Amino acid sequence: MKKQTFALGFVALIVCASASPALAYTLLSPRRRWKTTPVTVRVNNTGNSTITDSDGGVTAVVNAIKAWNIISSSSTSSSAVRGTPPPIIMLHTNGNICTGTCLAATLTGYYHQEGSSYTIDDADVYTNQKFDYTSSRESNGCSGEYDIDGIMTHETGHIIGLGHSSVGGATMYPSVAACDFSPRSLEADDINGRKDLYGK
Amino acid sequence: MLRRLMPVLVLLAASVPLSASQFIQLPFDQVAREATLIVRGQVVGVYSAWNDAHDTIFSYATVRVQRYMGETTGPDVLMVREAGGTVGEYTQQAIGFPELREGEQVVLMLTKWDGSDDWRIHAYNQGKYLVHKEPGPRGIETLSEDPVKQGDERLEGGHPRMQPRPLMEMKEFEEMAVAAREGRTIGPIDRRN
Repeated sequence: MKKQTFALGFVALIVCASASPALAYTLLSPRRRWKTTPVTVRVNNTGNSTITDSDGGVTAVVNAIKAWNIISSSSTSSSAVRGTPPPIIMLHTNGNICTGTCLAATLTGYYHQEGSSYTIDDADVYTNQKFDYTSSRESNGCSGEYDIDGIMTHETGHIIGLGHSSVGGATMYPSVAACDFSPRSLEADDINGRKDLYGK
Repeated sequence: MLRRLMPVLVLLAASVPLSASQFIQLPFDQVAREATLIVRGQVVGVYSAWNDAHDTIFSYATVRVQRYMGETTGPDVLMVREAGGTVGEYTQQAIGFPELREGEQVVLMLTKWDGSDDWRIHAYNQGKYLVHKEPGPRGIETLSEDPVKQGDERLEGGHPRMQPRPLMEMKEFEEMAVAAREGRTIGPIDRRN
């Protein structure tokens, strides 16, 4: 019995160790960045119908994504045009790609080569209407809702060229749960990723 | 012994961060139950094309089915459509979405796109497994999550992030999937992938 317990513990230890590599932020492939900062990002002013603040989460998202410190954000009546800047966050449509278990999706790939580096031209974000969301400007608490501030701060990380991080609690960590507000604030790992791309 | 440890291994594997952008993670049983088809096959070709509205590039993967799992059945060849791809010099990436690549040996849990007869991977990356055949006479097949999603860095082959981590043996997967579809649960834990 003792031997079995030991073996179980040993295997668990090995698997844990191999499942937690010392890796952190990643960059999108190919490595690319915006040519200048601040990066202009717009939030379409048709908000999300499940968010009960004054404008369906628009102002909350405009403010939240500034956490990256290299973002100039405001609302707009324009809709996302794929491949055409500026990046636009759409809170009211799934863009026909973010359905099922997708909460929000960043559609990117619009970039061009300048010498040996790549410059981002555009990236747009879509939101699945199937789920309920909350925002930092809602006053009725959170129950089974997903935090739009944190979700869009994460997606904005993709807009500026970041991939996912394996650091739990980082904004660019790839999974999120209902009423999880931690992605709103950047962790050191997120900032390291930003510095890698933009030097600040 | 390995069989007894399987629930522990699967649970631990579930603690590995999934490279998926903002997705809801479903229990394994739910993904298996909701899938219309579960297939073991090989990706034998992929091409990409714009949709009719010319605003989205989709990739169409031809999957040669080696066998259907559970009670599901269908044709020998399936076409699976996923968002993202390259047409000419133009690339669209849906960050964190699954990608099917020519030559891959896969197990796929599939449903149809809303309003379309095209197949898609159910629950995004949770519906795709890479198949690995262990060397040796027994040639046991194991399944892993695909470590590379759309937009991910293509690091050198030996990089830990590029190494798929086996989650379970094929027969374990099939037992779990069939049980889920029959409304049974194998093992004492809530399995996630």
